[in-house]
Amino acid sequence: MTTYIIRRLIQTVVVIVLLSYVCFSLMTLMPGDPVELMIQSNPKITSEDVARLRTLYGLDQPSYVRYFNWVKTIAAGDLGYSRTYRIPVSELMGPKLLNTFYLSLASLLLSILISVPLGIYSALHPGSKADNAVNFFAFAGISVPSFWLAIMLILTFSVYYKIFPAGGTFTIGIDENQSWDYFWDRSKYLVLPTVSLSYQSIGRFLRFTRSAMLEAMRNDYIRTAKAKGLSYTRVIWGHGFRNALIPLITILALSFSSLFSGAVITETVFAYQGVGKLVYDSIIGNDFNVAMVSFIISVAMVLLFNLIADILYGVVDPRISYK
Amino acid sequence: MKLSMTAFSLFLTLAFSANSQAALSNDEFKIGISQEFENFNPLIATMSATSYMYSLVGRALVTLDADGKWVPQLAKSIPSMENGGAKFATVNGKKTVVATWEIIPAAKWSDGKPVVCEDFKLARTIADSPNVSVGDKETYTQIEKVDWDPKSPQKCTFTYDKARWDFYQLARTYPLPSHLETAVFAQYGAQKEGYEKNTLYAKTPTADGLFNGPYKIAEVKLGSHVTFVPNQYFYGPQPKIKKIIVKLIPNTGTLEANLRSGTIDTVSSLGFSFDQALAFDKKVKSESLPYKVEFKPSLTYEHIDLNMENPTLKDIKVRKALVYSLNREDLVKALFEGRQQVALHHMATIDPWYTADPKVITIYNYNKREASRLLDEAGWKMNDKDNYRYKDGKKLSLQFMTTAGNKTRETVQTYLQGQWKAVGIEVVIKNEPARVFFGETTKKRKYGAMAMYAWVSSPESNPKSTFHTASIPSDKNGYSGQNQMGWSNKTVDKLVESLETEFDAKKRTEIAHQIAKIYTDDVPVIPLYYRSDIAVPPLALKHFRLTGHQYAETNEAELWDLTK
Repeated sequence: MTTYIIRRLIQTVVVIVLLSYVCFSLMTLMPGDPVELMIQSNPKITSEDVARLRTLYGLDQPSYVRYFNWVKTIAAGDLGYSRTYRIPVSELMGPKLLNTFYLSLASLLLSILISVPLGIYSALHPGSKADNAVNFFAFAGISVPSFWLAIMLILTFSVYYKIFPAGGTFTIGIDENQSWDYFWDRSKYLVLPTVSLSYQSIGRFLRFTRSAMLEAMRNDYIRTAKAKGLSYTRVIWGHGFRNALIPLITILALSFSSLFSGAVITETVFAYQGVGKLVYDSIIGNDFNVAMVSFIISVAMVLLFNLIADILYGVVDPRISYK
Repeated sequence: MKLSMTAFSLFLTLAFSANSQAALSNDEFKIGISQEFENFNPLIATMSATSYMYSLVGRALVTLDADGKWVPQLAKSIPSMENGGAKFATVNGKKTVVATWEIIPAAKWSDGKPVVCEDFKLARTIADSPNVSVGDKETYTQIEKVDWDPKSPQKCTFTYDKARWDFYQLARTYPLPSHLETAVFAQYGAQKEGYEKNTLYAKTPTADGLFNGPYKIAEVKLGSHVTFVPNQYFYGPQPKIKKIIVKLIPNTGTLEANLRSGTIDTVSSLGFSFDQALAFDKKVKSESLPYKVEFKPSLTYEHIDLNMENPTLKDIKVRKALVYSLNREDLVKALFEGRQQVALHHMATIDPWYTADPKVITIYNYNKREASRLLDEAGWKMNDKDNYRYKDGKKLSLQFMTTAGNKTRETVQTYLQGQWKAVGIEVVIKNEPARVFFGETTKKRKYGAMAMYAWVSSPESNPKSTFHTASIPSDKNGYSGQNQMGWSNKTVDKLVESLETEFDAKKRTEIAHQIAKIYTDDVPVIPLYYRSDIAVPPLALKHFRLTGHQYAETNEAELWDLTK
């Protein structure tokens, strides 16, 4: 097992290095550069200014030289400098990554807490009214565009009923040291984005859980377990659910890997200070350092959680071994 | 189904009719913007939202007020040849201008230290450093030298790099607090981008002493909000509003909901899109909401560049026919409810050089018959079978590009396509994302025939960067020019060059009119309309004035008042 994990971790590093180079090269191929954007906002910039700024930013170098310069900076522990916001990337991304983590985690936990029990219940009562209602709820979740749902939530709970704030991350001016008040305030701002973000994943997880559980419950070993006289609970949780877990682990692991990737639409609509919109803007604005750091985080998270998923397969199904 | 639709409509009506503007007072005022901002170092900042907010905290020697007039801010008065504040001089054999700028004694930084000539000298020195990424370096380096008598540190003598008539237009030439920033530059100035990474504006933006405007910064959260509180050392009247919060709401679609829910109290000029403002204006009237939707014609000039290398468009008759066949009055009425003005040429109505005199410029009123006549003369004959024009068996077909996803432009595009079809011109729409359109297509003049976008200028702006032959983007000049039409006219080249050094205001206006005449005669561009600036202030807010130019309404924020 240890050898397997070490091998996979080495593979992960190699994949990150290769993909980062590909990504960097693709970004340099995109039309426009940071100086280009400055020209658009300031027609007074002269051709001399353009040449001076391109040299200063190193944009006159071939892409591989720029990539190696970037790697050298990263290796020295410096994440670089955001040319859009004019501050170090670490200062810019740190708090936003944390905000995204809170939102994504809250949304994921809510989704799991609702969808898994409902999916199991639905699978155990196929064709019932409850099953139909759950299916309707799941399909609605999958179908409803998240921006529409977000706007409806704002209109209902912020504009009309005024229960939750329309947007933001916390109340401006709140004392961050007053831990309980601060926690309560942050939670209020998290409710609507979390609900909006969760609804789609609830639908998706619910459908997965239901179908995995239905599939598992049709197997011969369930019939055997029942014939052996095992309790209903034991049949469901010990035999049915355990076998249904493998596909669920795959989808959950992939979802966990996006904990730091952000949700562009939700964050934008709710003016939530997450990393999703930052990454989008950095790619559009050619803010290489921000885009590359977020890319590395995303790739690393996907690879890491895939590894965790692979390990968990072995835990839930002893037939799977790592050699 | 009917029931659910009714319920849904009822829900929306209820939701939108709810309005909860809390009682506004001078204690706190929350402004909504939809654009991102960066750190507040005025030399380095390039974003519009930062400029908007910087006027709350920083002032220059002069500015352009809401009436479009140059007025002093940090300066006692504006030097001119007439008042003796400026004079011609010859420095190192070069004719130039030397001007005396006297800073008002009350001008102080937010730590109580006076604003002095050295602060301007430091800004100029930093801007000139090859290690600092100042975009428009000339804003600072046009001042070749700043001198002062140590006994009068607020009386500065500016020696300019050349004899330029617009030497007093220093609205973007901001001072830096030399008592704080000199040490930073001394320590990090030699490193590439060292100064901008370590400037106090990035490291400790709430520190006292960084700002000289009516407010100072109490809190900055990039990507979220900035909180401003009064600067007790401000030279002017103390601001009436005790706290201003500028809040970023990146999705313009939710600005209205944020306004109605009380999350913000006003939508700034960097907020609503035009169609949103029109829709909200109707709601304000029908629901008697406590807001005013203000529209002010701006300097943003929406136009269509004609590619002068296109074989069809090389014929001036075709270019003229394209303009004659457009009913632009009808366009602004139909699409903008008349809230944006039809453009006659590159100068906006608020520009002192603006003219609509038919004796001075050529005006193209909608004339379908004239358009058809010109096309006939150019050899493009109407084919009755498909109602398109042909010449030598080739259909009159032009490619029309703009930024994909820009709803207003795409609507205008479709409208124009219909009008050109009426005279037998086929227009093929091909749109691209803004990044590709500006970053590659217009920059390298790769658009087939027509490209629609906007230019932003300032009053009395020399159009050299957009009209001069040397400004045609090419590989040689690093594609930095703005003459994306590829328009080359020797007379215009001479005129824009002479405009730079003409000190007689009357003669400058004449030159500007001569340029406008050739521009309208030659039709390298189809003028469409001047965009309007929009803001939604609460009815209770007094002394709020939209400017229509790049020096935002925040330049008068100290006068804003919410008392009843």
